[in-house]
Amino acid sequence: MTRRMDDEENELAVRAQAGDRQAFTLLVRRYQDRVFRFILRMNGARDEAMDLTQETFIKAFLALPGWRPDARFGTWLFQIARNATLDVLRRRQCVEFVPLDACLPEGGACDPRDGAPLPEEQLAGRQRIALLERALRELPVEQREILLLRELEGMSYTEIAATLDINEGTVKSRLARARVAVLAHYRHHAGEK
Amino acid sequence: MTEHEPDMIALSIYLDGELGIAERHRVAAHLAACPQCASRLAALQALTADFGRLPEENLGFDLAGVIEGRLAAAPRPHDKQGAAGWWGLLPVSIGAAASIAISLTIGFGMGSALFGGAAAMPRVTAMSVFDTLPPGGLCLGPESCYSKGARK
Repeated sequence: MTRRMDDEENELAVRAQAGDRQAFTLLVRRYQDRVFRFILRMNGARDEAMDLTQETFIKAFLALPGWRPDARFGTWLFQIARNATLDVLRRRQCVEFVPLDACLPEGGACDPRDGAPLPEEQLAGRQRIALLERALRELPVEQREILLLRELEGMSYTEIAATLDINEGTVKSRLARARVAVLAHYRHHAGEK
Repeated sequence: MTEHEPDMIALSIYLDGELGIAERHRVAAHLAACPQCASRLAALQALTADFGRLPEENLGFDLAGVIEGRLAAAPRPHDKQGAAGWWGLLPVSIGAAASIAISLTIGFGMGSALFGGAAAMPRVTAMSVFDTLPPGGLCLGPESCYSKGARK
């Protein structure tokens, strides 16, 4: 996202904060699909994602007096969406998934198979997408959310750190683990063929 | 540089363009000479490309209209801030005044109690909590158990 767009959004948020409903409407239109996609990929249930998207914007509107212009509006909004989604996942007791066999040990070195010919290259495009969707559903929530914020939302490490309330060092290692986990998922299923 | 450097974390950061300039050059030089690491990076790049090909799910309707309806009944954030004017502070002022008045009353009361002598002490009326007869005790006569008033 460009700086100009950030500035525009923050300007709209400032107006919305001052009671300008029209400005808030513009922000809703700008973000509704992105927030919906993030929530849907997080929880996997369409109807629930629609409700949560709505709740996110209502909560954002009510919390607007507490928003400060030095925080990017989008990052702040995704924090609200994420918290609302995690609440629902916790109630469903779905937060802890069995992690995929991520191949990244503490030192950060990778499975030697990473350098071997890649079986995932043998997968057809559509098959890869199906596997990616499945991997996202099965990944631990903390890996899933960081992948979505980076790969779908294109957030910088600084923005991800702010959204997830973690430091940038953790963003780096967690994101790498998440990527390796998905590649391991590909490899596992390609190996089955 | 060892055989397996850079690790996957460094490659992941490199992929995202978040490495510092010096480190970026170091990794780029390594990638040019190491097919194994170049292959790992290619896998990460392919994964990013896959994310770009995920079906784009949309909400499918204008949420702004729905939100407008729901917010019509909700107070405006601006109103909340506006309520922080002197009218908004009125209940706080009343509360503060009341607590000061109570404190002064108690303070004067305790002061006069401490320094005004026993004559100023309020009389404590003892309440009769227990009956004179124990539970299950026998009445020696109607008068001992029932007052005259109660019998009327």
